[in-house]
Amino acid sequence: MNKVLSNKKTVAIFILPSLILFAVFVLIPIIYNVYISLFQTDLMGTKNFVGLRNYMNLFNDKFFLKALKNNAMLVVGSLIAHLPLALVFGNFIFTKIRGSKFFQSAFFLPSVICGAGVGIMFKMIYNSEFGLVNALLDLLHMPQFKHSWLNEEQTVMFAMILVVMWKFVGYHMVIQLAAMRSIPGELYESARIDGATMWQQFTKITLPLIKHVIRIDVVLIITGSLKYFDLIWSMTKGGPNHASEVMATYMYYQGFRTLKFGYASAIGVVLLILCTAVIWLVNRLIRVEKMEY
Amino acid sequence: MTVQRRILRGTAFLLMAVFAVMCLYPLVWLILGSFKSNQELYTNTWGLPESLGLVNYINAISKADIVHSYISSVVITVAAVFITVFLGAMVSYGISRLHFKLCKPVNTLFAMGMSIPAYAAIVPMFSMFNRMHLLDSWISVIIAHTVFAFPITIYILTGFFSTIPKELEEAFTVDGCTIWKGYYKIILPIAKPSIATVSVINFITIWNDLLFPQIFLTSMNKMPLPVILTQFADLDSTDYAGMLAAVVMTVIPTIVVYLILHDKVMEGMTAGAVKG
Repeated sequence: MNKVLSNKKTVAIFILPSLILFAVFVLIPIIYNVYISLFQTDLMGTKNFVGLRNYMNLFNDKFFLKALKNNAMLVVGSLIAHLPLALVFGNFIFTKIRGSKFFQSAFFLPSVICGAGVGIMFKMIYNSEFGLVNALLDLLHMPQFKHSWLNEEQTVMFAMILVVMWKFVGYHMVIQLAAMRSIPGELYESARIDGATMWQQFTKITLPLIKHVIRIDVVLIITGSLKYFDLIWSMTKGGPNHASEVMATYMYYQGFRTLKFGYASAIGVVLLILCTAVIWLVNRLIRVEKMEY
Repeated sequence: MTVQRRILRGTAFLLMAVFAVMCLYPLVWLILGSFKSNQELYTNTWGLPESLGLVNYINAISKADIVHSYISSVVITVAAVFITVFLGAMVSYGISRLHFKLCKPVNTLFAMGMSIPAYAAIVPMFSMFNRMHLLDSWISVIIAHTVFAFPITIYILTGFFSTIPKELEEAFTVDGCTIWKGYYKIILPIAKPSIATVSVINFITIWNDLLFPQIFLTSMNKMPLPVILTQFADLDSTDYAGMLAAVVMTVIPTIVVYLILHDKVMEGMTAGAVKG
């Protein structure tokens, strides 16, 4: 039996096809990417070694800095929007409010919809002439707040954060809800017998027992916010005048539009470092004690 | 129930209802809008369309060549999902059940993939596909989707395979059944629910993706739907109603799958976070 399961040929046939594909098209490219980032290259003919100059240029490039700032805004905005809303709604559904099954499915629906489709849809919703947002403001007799939301540098990032919220709050809610549902019911029963209020049950039982999932969720929210592409590309392509540029759209623009592939690779490396740093940092900052229950 | 609790529950319900409307109304507006004329979009924001004519759909199909992009989307998605699940199931079974020295490192390697952003590999991938003459071919997009779908697929499937009792394999090896036959005839059939979960979530991710096809493809008639959507505006920037119809046609398949299998979709898409 063990002989069959450790037969070298069997192991090779089961493991190698995927492993080779994964190594060739993911692992090697990541290393190769660091190498390319040291060159000035269009990947066709010219290829000049420039050392770390791409990286130095990045931090003097005001559009890249703008992109970095926008990503930071999205991180902060998403953390402020997703976490509390997901927790509150998750808890409502967890305590079996009327219609909770419907609410759960409805809130999650936007996260299965194509990002480019959502982008185009919201481009229309924000349209200054026939869009829903301005129509709603008219309905509320507040025409002074009307904007050409995606075309104005001051409003575009705010509009973007709302779309991100629309698409992802339900997703994070379902993650936290799943964690809540894995808590044994007896804990709540005995708490109720002892006369604990809903609020006490939430802060004393639910929150501490789902802390490990909240930590993973924080990582997902932050790394997700660093990687937005579809939504922003389909709504504004990073405009107007780079006002909604993020690292991913800027990398696409630099690499695949202006053919500065070395420069684009450097942005890719920065993204990888940031994502890794976030995982490390969040795991250090939010300490989770192992809970037994 | 005390009065206070009833008020609390009522407020909670109201909040949820408001958010539900915010989630669903844009989609309702989108679908209604896809039947309105361009004129009507301006004058009739909130109402129902005057007729349920398919003019916008016909316009979108003829102008943006939606038929070709539907075929592209289906070919890319079906091929990538099939290869991912076929190879992913094999490697997952290998990692969780076969005995070999590098089992743990291999598993860690794939698990690491979940946190690697595609952007960190995309320029070299482009260069490699260029040298392999695979640019502007569906094969490059299918390969890219497959390799980036491996981590979550393998994560979910190894989780399942490791719950299968050892006695099962013992039984089929004692019976003289080869490992292959056992894998296909016994193991895969009991893994059906998990295979379905990974197929569905990979279908959704790959169908929705914009990045890989936008980078690796250049011919318009090979582009899948999300790319065509972003380029629709450049084709005809005034036919908003046609654009709405194109969006509806793009998002319908994943919404239908979600309506049928919502529990599976939710479970699968959040598995990486919840079980980790």
